[in-house]
Amino acid sequence: MLTVFFDLWSDKKRSKISSVKTFSSSCVFVRLQVVLKIIKHYQEEGQGSEVVQGVLLGLVVEDRLEITNCFPFPQHTEDDVDFDEVQYQMEMMRSLRHVNIDHLHVGWYQSTYYGSFVSRALLDSQFSYQHAIEESVVLIYDPIKTAQGSLCLKAYRLTPKLMEICKEKDFSPEGLKKACIGYEHMFEEVPIVIKNSHLINVLLLDLQEKSTVADKHELLNLSSSNHLEKSLQLLMDRMDDMSQDIGKYNTYCRNLSKQQQQKQQYLQRRQQENAQRQSRGEPPLPEEDISKMFKPPQAPARMDTLLIAGQINNYCQNIKEFTSQNLGKLFMAEALQGHSS
Amino acid sequence: MSRFFATGSDSESEESSSADEITPKKRIVCCPLRFRFEELTNIIKTIRNAMKIRDMSKCLEEFEQLYRAFLKSKTIVDKEGVPQFYIRLLADLEDYLNQLWEDKEGKKKMNKNNAKALSTLRQKIRKYNKDFETEISSYKEVLNCSPNESESEGDEESEDWGSDSVDSGGESEDNEGEAASLAVVFLKKYVFFNLEHKKMEQVDEEADEEGEGEEGGWEKVKGGVPLVKEKPKMFAKGTEINNAVVIKKLNEILQARGKKGTDRSAQIELLHALAGISNENNLGEGILVKIKFNIIASLYDYNTNLAAFMKAEMWKKCLECIDELLDILFENSNMFIGENIAEDSENLAISDQPFRVRGCILTLVERMDEEFTKIMQNTDPHSQEYVDNLKDEGRVCGIIDRLLQYLESKGSTEEVCRVYLRRIMHTYYKFDYKAHRRSLGLQGETKSEQDQEESEGEDSAIIMDRLCKFIYAKDRTDRIRTCAILCHIYHHALHSRWYQARDLMLMSHLQDNIQHADPPVQILYNRTMVQLGICAFRRGMIKDAHNALLDIQSSGRAKELLGQGLLMRNMQERNAEQEKIEKRRQVPFHMHINLELLECVYLVSAMLLEIPYMAAHEFDARRRMISKQFHHQLRVGERQPLLGPPESMREHVVAASKAMKMGDWKTCHSFIINEKMNSKVWDLFPEAQRVREMLVRKIQEESLRTYLFTYSSVYDSISMETLSEMFELELPTVHSIISKMIINEELMASLDQPTQTVVMHRTEPTSLQNMTLQLAEKLGGLVENNERVFDLKQGVYGGYFNRGTRTRPRNLIKDHFQIKINCIINVVFS
Repeated sequence: MLTVFFDLWSDKKRSKISSVKTFSSSCVFVRLQVVLKIIKHYQEEGQGSEVVQGVLLGLVVEDRLEITNCFPFPQHTEDDVDFDEVQYQMEMMRSLRHVNIDHLHVGWYQSTYYGSFVSRALLDSQFSYQHAIEESVVLIYDPIKTAQGSLCLKAYRLTPKLMEICKEKDFSPEGLKKACIGYEHMFEEVPIVIKNSHLINVLLLDLQEKSTVADKHELLNLSSSNHLEKSLQLLMDRMDDMSQDIGKYNTYCRNLSKQQQQKQQYLQRRQQENAQRQSRGEPPLPEEDISKMFKPPQAPARMDTLLIAGQINNYCQNIKEFTSQNLGKLFMAEALQGHSS
Repeated sequence: MSRFFATGSDSESEESSSADEITPKKRIVCCPLRFRFEELTNIIKTIRNAMKIRDMSKCLEEFEQLYRAFLKSKTIVDKEGVPQFYIRLLADLEDYLNQLWEDKEGKKKMNKNNAKALSTLRQKIRKYNKDFETEISSYKEVLNCSPNESESEGDEESEDWGSDSVDSGGESEDNEGEAASLAVVFLKKYVFFNLEHKKMEQVDEEADEEGEGEEGGWEKVKGGVPLVKEKPKMFAKGTEINNAVVIKKLNEILQARGKKGTDRSAQIELLHALAGISNENNLGEGILVKIKFNIIASLYDYNTNLAAFMKAEMWKKCLECIDELLDILFENSNMFIGENIAEDSENLAISDQPFRVRGCILTLVERMDEEFTKIMQNTDPHSQEYVDNLKDEGRVCGIIDRLLQYLESKGSTEEVCRVYLRRIMHTYYKFDYKAHRRSLGLQGETKSEQDQEESEGEDSAIIMDRLCKFIYAKDRTDRIRTCAILCHIYHHALHSRWYQARDLMLMSHLQDNIQHADPPVQILYNRTMVQLGICAFRRGMIKDAHNALLDIQSSGRAKELLGQGLLMRNMQERNAEQEKIEKRRQVPFHMHINLELLECVYLVSAMLLEIPYMAAHEFDARRRMISKQFHHQLRVGERQPLLGPPESMREHVVAASKAMKMGDWKTCHSFIINEKMNSKVWDLFPEAQRVREMLVRKIQEESLRTYLFTYSSVYDSISMETLSEMFELELPTVHSIISKMIINEELMASLDQPTQTVVMHRTEPTSLQNMTLQLAEKLGGLVENNERVFDLKQGVYGGYFNRGTRTRPRNLIKDHFQIKINCIINVVFS
């Protein structure tokens, strides 16, 4: 029974991947080696909420991006300040070139903790990547989900709209409004295809045959509260941030409207006075710089709110996915129990 | 050059010292004439100096000043005539200028400024001298008559301007001396003083007839000059020593008081000798008391610096003196002393009338008490010296007691209040072991001890009560009453009379206005609060204890607030001056409240309150901390990478808290009460055993509560008997605790009487459900916030939701959310 379930799942996965293949003209091909390297990197250096990062190497073929290799950024502590990351990267790429490996910089990867990766730092660095190399992507690797049995690796790119906003650095409410950007349109997910040589495929199939059931049953773990609790906790933290941001925006709006009102009143009074003066035959009052008298309050940057919203969306997706899977498992377990009894 | 400087400075210092000795006397006379003339002579001195070095511009400047000063003293001059020295200067200056003017070569050598000043000065003085023509001419005549007498001229004049004589004499000598070598000057000075010494002896012989002022002046010189060391004779042989003479002498000595050159220890000795003389001659107690007063006062004067404390010998002498003084006062009931008695109405002689002496014994004793505090503050509290000093406390108390007796019969209520307060201050912080033992029903071990106990009079509680009540009724200054109340509360609290202490604290309303009091009173207030808290703890009132200690402990500056030490702070926050003031406020070591005990009491009471609270509100989003300090300690404990067995008191409490969190009362108990903690903390209480018993009981009860909070979700039902066994509590106690929890809706359960079990209702949500509920709440808030933004955009009246009834759509949205969330919860836990 269990194997059947596993097969079902793997079939589903396979079909998903195959559908992806036909869907997009610009997709990312990733070598298995890269995936394994990223996983290894995290397992060696990442812990808990700590994040590991690295550089992706590859090349652009026609309209698809092929990621053929990667190397990690070294972990460096605060002590060695004089460590030059750029220098290190250049050195690394040069060395790789010597051994005839693709040395084109095509993006970077990062691990994530319960799906929290939408942050200002990510936005900024991805922007600078994409600004320099248009095709570059960021691969997000979720080790926790992977540990639960399903590999979770996603490629993201900033949408052209967001690129433009970032270029102009206009994060005021008006600017974002004009750009018509919502949290849904900030990142576009690029489908990933894990490509291997036939030899490796054959080996994998062989391994699948040989693997025992025990290796796979992490998938069927019924306990869910721990994971859910963590996710909820994170979600709640973001919600608090969001609330705060909204509050800030709210006060800003109120201040703005109050000032507008004052400005209106002032103008009206001025007009009345001028009219009176005119009727008396006096010259009108001199013009004053109104914008100086009523300085608009500093508008809060809205980009953070947007990012928080994106992050919340992300968490929600994760939780939804997780709960629906769990629900399935629970039903199955119930059925199993009924069957055996 | 250097020699020049040396002589210059030497003469200057000599001048200044002589000036010093004379000027204060003038002040005592307080005559404007002297004052003005002194000013004039000073200016003249500088002019003469300037003349010597041919500094014309300086001369001009000073001359103008002199002119002004002279105008100021116009009224006096009108009365007294133009002073001789002034005329002399004018004449000399004119001569000098003329001489310079003639000296063409010298004039050429002068620089421009000086030459200019010379011409202006010359014109000025010519014009000015016309007003004094007659005087100057007469002066010149005198000068011409006795040209050789220029040296002694000052002495001549001294008849006219007595005090000035020394000045001008010394000055003229110096003028010459300047030309001579240093050695000559020194010799001269030596001669000068020898001369004076001889003079003094002469004067001594005719002491009785001589005026007090002059002799006093000579005496001072003697004090300042190390050459004369012999014991001064008070009176010449054969003089009949009577009251008037002694008083005169006393006044002489006193006039030197507070002056720069006075040797203070010599003065004290003089006074002692005087006291001896008056005693020998049986001049009566009046004079003796007067002298004693002055001896004590000069003992206090010995240290000019307020921060410095008395030397041990001085202190001993002071105590003796006060004791003797009190002896005299007790022996002579017909003696009146007081500050309000004027000097002239004093009656010191033996007569039918009662003695009247000016002076305030209370002030002296208060000062003595302060000195005692100062000595204690400045002694290293861990030395044998401190113990020795502390032994004097008995004497201090004895003196205060005697004074109290004396004033009770003689003094005004105000004075009585003050002395009562002193008495209270020496009583309130001492634990009355005798009364304690008596209350416990223990008798002294031997018969003699028992007798002693009985003979020693009333309990400190009764004394405190009597004294404080008198002050409450009679005192008119707020400060004394406040202090008395605080001490009274402290004393109650120290003896575990919690209810009296608390009631007194509440009745006095001190908490409302203590911030207006001065720092020492505030320190006393803090001490009282702390003692109150500790008392509450001993009586098992944990909550009260926590509340009382919260303010002091949460600031983290308990040490400073109790006046038991200064915190290390950088100098920006506190300059040296402030530091000195703060140092003076410190409470002596023997009155300290043990800070570790204080902290331990606080932390333990915080633990007993906080741990069950934490267990009960584990999932509450808006959980408040009862004690920040305690949480801080917990966090510090958690941060430790390696947890060894606890060492310090804090670590013990933290470890105990952890055990309690698990409901493990035995471990908790062993952490709180063990040998280490006993020696550190619990043995410091007078009733240590009772406190420990109370503590064990509290730990058992609170652990039971914590256990029920933490593990109720695991049980369907639990037998009370099991619980009572687990926590070693009696069944009724367990029953009452659980009932209380159920009534307070802290525990969702019911009691099943027949089987003696607690049946859990299992209505508490699990942690995930709790979290989801929190999330729902937050979402609600978020939606509301969002709507507000929306409202603002649309204007208050044009809002989207305003078209219908205002509240419905909003509620709809909320409901929608709620439903969705509930769905999630249901789905996850179906």
